[in-house]
Amino acid sequence: MDEMLREYLPILVFLAVAIALGLILILAALVIAVRRPDPEKVSAYECGFNAFDDARMKFDVRFYLVSILFIIFDLEIAFLFPWAVAFKDISMTGFWSMMVFLGVLTAGFAYEWKKGALEWQ
Amino acid sequence: MSADLTLILPEIVLAVFAMLGLLGAVYTGKDALAPALVWATSALLVLVALWVGLAAPETHTGFGGMFIDDGFSRFAKVTLLLSAAAVLAMSEGYMSARGLLRFEYPILITLAVVGMMVMVSAGDLMSLYMGLELQSLALYVVASLRRDSIKSTEAGLKYFVLGALSSGLLLYGASLIYGYAGTTLFSGIIQTAQTGDVSLGMLFGLIFVISGLAFKVSAVPFHMWTPDVYEGAPTPITAFFATAPKVAAMGLFARVMHDAFGNAVGDWQQVVALISLLSMFLGAIAAIGQTNIKRLMAYSSIAHMGYALMGLASGTVFGVQAMLVYLAIYVTMNVGTFAFILMMERDGQPVVDVASLNMYSKREPGKALAMLVLLFSLAGVPPMLGFFGKLYVLRAAYEGGLAWLAIAGVVASVIGAFYYLRIVFYMYFGDENAEGLDGGKSPVLWGFLMASAVVMVLGIINMFGVEGAAAAAAASLVN
Amino acid sequence: MADFFMNHPLGIALLIIGQIFLLVIPLLVALAFLMYADRKIWAAVQMRRGPNVVGVFGLLQSFADFGKYIVKEVVVPAGADKSVFFMAPMVSLVMALIAWAVIPFNDGWVLSNINVAILYVFAVSSLEVYGVIMGGWASNSKYPFLGSLRSAAQMISYEVSIGLIIIGVIISSGSMNFGDIVRSQDGDWGVFNWYWLPHFPMLFLFLISALAETNRPPFDLPEAESELVAGYQVEYSSTPFLLFMIGELVAVVLMCALISLMFFGGWLSPVPFLPDGIVWMILKMGFVFFIFSMVKAITPRYRYDQLMRLGWKVFLPFSLVWVVFVAFAAKFEWFWGVYARWTVGG
Repeated sequence: MDEMLREYLPILVFLAVAIALGLILILAALVIAVRRPDPEKVSAYECGFNAFDDARMKFDVRFYLVSILFIIFDLEIAFLFPWAVAFKDISMTGFWSMMVFLGVLTAGFAYEWKKGALEWQ
Repeated sequence: MSADLTLILPEIVLAVFAMLGLLGAVYTGKDALAPALVWATSALLVLVALWVGLAAPETHTGFGGMFIDDGFSRFAKVTLLLSAAAVLAMSEGYMSARGLLRFEYPILITLAVVGMMVMVSAGDLMSLYMGLELQSLALYVVASLRRDSIKSTEAGLKYFVLGALSSGLLLYGASLIYGYAGTTLFSGIIQTAQTGDVSLGMLFGLIFVISGLAFKVSAVPFHMWTPDVYEGAPTPITAFFATAPKVAAMGLFARVMHDAFGNAVGDWQQVVALISLLSMFLGAIAAIGQTNIKRLMAYSSIAHMGYALMGLASGTVFGVQAMLVYLAIYVTMNVGTFAFILMMERDGQPVVDVASLNMYSKREPGKALAMLVLLFSLAGVPPMLGFFGKLYVLRAAYEGGLAWLAIAGVVASVIGAFYYLRIVFYMYFGDENAEGLDGGKSPVLWGFLMASAVVMVLGIINMFGVEGAAAAAAASLVN
Repeated sequence: MADFFMNHPLGIALLIIGQIFLLVIPLLVALAFLMYADRKIWAAVQMRRGPNVVGVFGLLQSFADFGKYIVKEVVVPAGADKSVFFMAPMVSLVMALIAWAVIPFNDGWVLSNINVAILYVFAVSSLEVYGVIMGGWASNSKYPFLGSLRSAAQMISYEVSIGLIIIGVIISSGSMNFGDIVRSQDGDWGVFNWYWLPHFPMLFLFLISALAETNRPPFDLPEAESELVAGYQVEYSSTPFLLFMIGELVAVVLMCALISLMFFGGWLSPVPFLPDGIVWMILKMGFVFFIFSMVKAITPRYRYDQLMRLGWKVFLPFSLVWVVFVAFAAKFEWFWGVYARWTVGG
């Protein structure tokens, strides 16, 4: 157990190093570069217009749809990972259970396809 | 393995039917197939109910104890399957006429029913949660079936948010119980939870689980969603909410209390008794001010769940039997009452105002009489079946040492009788000049209304044998 | 001495930091030249010269660019959420970098030899989408906002098929550790033992999904300059912008490494008589990067609806079917068991 956890230590250190690297780069520009903001420079870019309103506006519901579909399929993949790793030790029951699971999922996928959830125009 | 699969064959059949129906309909006629699909689903539910009901009276467990097939689960399954079939049959005409009938509707109901069947058969906290979520997710969608109506979407959203909260409470409790018992199996938990020996952490877990379950049966203080969801959802769906899910949730409630904590009755008895008391009184008092008949039925169902919980609170075999009998009667009454509500319309538009029933008896004496019988039964007026249901649970509470609860039940019943009788007053002695209703002309609804009313009267002879079945079911649950 | 580095906490920490620098510095230097190579290849295809002013043949171009980024003014838009605005490029860079912790360059040459390596890479690269979303939202400007939405939707769409393709490889090798995956591709026939052969269609799917996942052309819709100016990066300047660029390029090179490891046998030699070694790994990554550059040079950009259609209606069903096929082939040992490497050894 200890040996296994020890293998994760480099990741933690790496995380710290990567954050430090990013911070150094950002701070370098903040320190070195001249900063002379003016209202025109810091206004939001909108092809030469002044911004009409707040940019955090309503957007197409399809983006929600895509993210919900993504969650479903990503969860499915999360289920598949341990199954795939243990594949050589798995019994016939385990094998067929996953096939049934994939079948159910495919039924849902076929439904949403036909319903037009994947259309995008 | 194949023995396990045989055990859940009814569930598998329904689930496969749902998927085939879904794909078949979406690839062919879509909503044009919906009426046929509704009737087919309804017929299938009845067939499965017969199949489950006529199975040999034995107890089997499968999947390492996660799934229990015993008399109790079969009783609950038959009740909820039949009520779901009845509601489906009632909803076809109403929803077709209003363009609400999508082919997903019977599919979702089927999936919800599968979830409920898993719920009442759960022998493990995980299968419990799986069934509960399958049921809930299907019902969230069904609640907001009328997508262009603000009230319906509001109902769906409210139901979803609060339902997710209650699932969270339940899961939190389940994880505490698992932590302290070291197992999620009910049969393992009951070993750990001996009388007077329930650890504090486990007690917390128990309370959280009770809160989550109380939410699903819409018992006070977790009832807030009920009136809004009942009002917002299309009426046939309200009828469904008022019947099958209540049976399933109560079945699950009894299952958890007796299978997992049957040795520690003292620990949950007071909590359940308190929930029961609050539900009865809130249901009775809050309904008085309601003029919308769907909201009124919501409060009525809260009160009725209070009475059913009274049977559970007694903690005895007889208590569970009383609860099952009460639920069966409650479901029958609600099917009839909602058949009547579905027929309330004026110029093709559904009407839910109680005042529209003024002098209804002049126009439709037959239906008014049937409704009178049902309302008397809901109120628990003596010659009707509803009275015997109440008598059952009151007796169970009294014999279980909860005399105070029984007395409170009688008081609440008297208060609650007021708003049922007010409807009767409107129908028979109301304002002559008020704008009335058109006569609903659905033979199906008429049939369900009349059948339900007749049952309320004839049932007092021998309750159609439900008593015996309920006694056997209760005996199989409580050891 | 050896005892100090193996057992003393400080020694271990120093050793790890040393290893990290041994990985990160060559990686970043290589990045500079890959950037240069990318531009040169692109230029060559279009019969231009490309960068040729700074240094011999313009070799120092990327370093000059780097110097220029640092002395540019950091402009923070007026309506921006400042902390999120600076966090976004950080997320983008950090997530791209730390994924390298589990990538082996030779047998045992890996920073962190964990048994869930692929899962880790998959998880970390999923988090990269947060950099995009945060950047677009924090800018409080319409182009970045729309660009980040589109870009996020694109990234998550293709992540699904990437995940499914990975599942196929895991089934074949029975492990999520890259070392084990490479070792399971070892055999007597060299190049024909690698997974590109049995998983042939998936190689293409993975390559294309990797392009989409890293927002490379022809799927560089977030930066579709004709529609969205530069997507979620519009309001960024100076080093925050540089961090996005580095993060993106590191992710691209990571995809090259993944393809080399999963389909081309990592550090294994393609012919039996040559020794295995890190040089093969680097050559393979370079080759895949060359393909990436060529794709960028010769393909026109996809339209957004085509992109989503391709991801959901072509790649997803195809990779799902492939997973089922691989599962059956491995379980019932079809095709002499090549899909179940534990049966044929290796």
